[in-house]
Amino acid sequence: MKKKLLSFVLAGCMIASLTACGSSSKTTEPTNDSSKTETTESTDAATDTKEDAVAEGEASADGYELALVTDIGTIDDKSFNQGAWEGVVQYAKESGKSYKYYQPAEKTTDSYVETIDLAIEGGAKVVVCPGYLFEEAVFISQDKYTDVKFILLDGEPHNADYSEYKTADNTMAILFQEDEAGFLAGYAAVKDGYTKLGFMGGMAVPAVIRFGYGFVQGADYAASELGLDSVEISYHYTGGFDATPEVQTLAASWYGAGTEVIFGCGGGVGNSVMAAAEANGKAVIGVDVDQSPESDTVITSAMKKLSVSVYDGIKAVYDNAFQGGKTTTFTAANDGVGLPMETSKFKTFSSDDYDSVFAKLAGGEIKINNDTKESDTNAAVGAFGLKVAKVNVVQ
Amino acid sequence: MNIVFSVFQQTMFFTIPLLIVALGGMFSERSGIINIALEGIMIMGAFVSILFINRTQGVLSGQTQLILAVVIAAIAGMLFSLFHAFASINMKADQTISGTALNLFAPAFAIFVARILQGVQQIQFTNTFRIESVPVLGNIPIIGDLFFKNTYITTYIGILILILSTIVLYKTKFGLRLRACGEHPQAADSVGINVYKMQYAGVLISGAFAGIGGLVFVIPTSTNFNATVAGYGFLALAVLIFGQWHPVRILFASFFFGLMKTIAASYSGIPVLASLGVPSYIYKMVPYVTTLVVLVFTSKNSQAPRAEGIPYDKGAR
Repeated sequence: MKKKLLSFVLAGCMIASLTACGSSSKTTEPTNDSSKTETTESTDAATDTKEDAVAEGEASADGYELALVTDIGTIDDKSFNQGAWEGVVQYAKESGKSYKYYQPAEKTTDSYVETIDLAIEGGAKVVVCPGYLFEEAVFISQDKYTDVKFILLDGEPHNADYSEYKTADNTMAILFQEDEAGFLAGYAAVKDGYTKLGFMGGMAVPAVIRFGYGFVQGADYAASELGLDSVEISYHYTGGFDATPEVQTLAASWYGAGTEVIFGCGGGVGNSVMAAAEANGKAVIGVDVDQSPESDTVITSAMKKLSVSVYDGIKAVYDNAFQGGKTTTFTAANDGVGLPMETSKFKTFSSDDYDSVFAKLAGGEIKINNDTKESDTNAAVGAFGLKVAKVNVVQ
Repeated sequence: MNIVFSVFQQTMFFTIPLLIVALGGMFSERSGIINIALEGIMIMGAFVSILFINRTQGVLSGQTQLILAVVIAAIAGMLFSLFHAFASINMKADQTISGTALNLFAPAFAIFVARILQGVQQIQFTNTFRIESVPVLGNIPIIGDLFFKNTYITTYIGILILILSTIVLYKTKFGLRLRACGEHPQAADSVGINVYKMQYAGVLISGAFAGIGGLVFVIPTSTNFNATVAGYGFLALAVLIFGQWHPVRILFASFFFGLMKTIAASYSGIPVLASLGVPSYIYKMVPYVTTLVVLVFTSKNSQAPRAEGIPYDKGAR
């Protein structure tokens, strides 16, 4: 009998410790790996340490008001999360709000929802979710916490099987016209005299696909404007966002085969393309943010003005002008996408050229096919009706 | 012909780090200690040396800086591997677990320190190390194009390491003793060899090589270091087994892996292969399928050191 009791107690202990593991893992020290659970203080964020002390001090009263939940990357991924985080930090510093970011344990909706719960328990009044991966998580959480405001970047809340789309009044969905940014980049490259182009995306997610489609159509548009005979575009998704020798080799082989400029579209992929470009004396087009500081080979970047959109969104919350319940699309028309002309290294493509094509995009004079539903790239590219550009899709 | 040259040059970017790291693993395993921490040690070596490059940018540049970085990477890798040596030799810990611990620790440490020092986890570096063409040697037809153009000094360091490793392992007293410790440490001990010392030497050499390998891996691949070597430490273990713990065979194995990886990555830029229409997955699979096949045929009389993985216990004779 005693033994039985003991075994029960032990089993109980085990279960308790297991559950303890489950929940305590969320408060472990920050580590690197995005696959691990982390809750990271704003102290080790990409911010000034002095300011962080302020953020932390205030936190004691009612937690962290502004929260950002990251997706796969970390807040210094030089792209999505970082752009959003900069927007959060900028607003928080200007108006003295406390802020913090949370990194989910896994890339699953359950884990995202848990992390959002955690952020709200931690006092969050505004939760920023960068990335379309959060669509379901926000769909679930927006009804659970009606007094918390959600800002979802790059997606619209929907349920698991896409049968229901709903953006609640406390949610602001932000989309970007990546295709317009890509269009500008492709247009500028061809206008600047490049005729052999490459597109190297990371994973084939909607945002990356739109960049690519826009890029192809922009190049074609410029080519027919200039009356060129041929523009060749190699087109490939690497399937990941890491810098690897494989990506570098592929880029080097394209450069070796005559490609003059590659649009490196996806985190570390871009860095490997830059390494190859440096070795071959060729050019790169950056993505998401102005990547010209990363390498001299970057001639321009197809930017999404992430931090601006997040900043505006948060500001609207506190100004009682929150545009909840609907999707806001950042386009050329509201200056949400563009090229950084001050840091671009174009030979002939001038600011005036840029302004005129930008105006056409903003005015809706140019229509871009950005339908990402078609999963087959070949078929999708075929549907653009390109006049001059020839796209060589590399599987 | 140009395509052949560029494929060969690219192959070197895969081959050399694999070669150096696998040779490191060889020294450790030949002394009887399994070292699956190669991945972690690569990250640590790359981290410390890239940080060095980042900090001395502007003061130093070119080959001097790279050679100093190689030395620093070796020292960093060696110090880091001391943990593994201590745990598995002195404490007689399970070598797989100790190695895994190092693998988990290294990227976390790299990111943590990088963020403390500079706010972001990526460490930028400017690549001033590439050699367009080696003077004189680069002008030799064919051979010059293959070996002495678009290269890094680390390629030659890798070859040098290979030659030295072969000599040390097979032509010196030290090498004989090291191998003896991996095969039958009790016998080695009975003739007065200090087994612990030998095993320490093996692990430290593997640490130094893996550290260098990490740096060599990162330099041509990216413009910053993001606390990862993309699993190449584990790939080096596969190369080590494929090469049957023998330096020259390791060279062939790493060259084979490198060539296959290069072709898988770049076939779209090679007209002949692009027109074949073979999916890139096939090329990607080849090295692994070959490894499996080779293992099937060699596992019966595998050259793996007999005593590897078993903590040496003086008392158990």
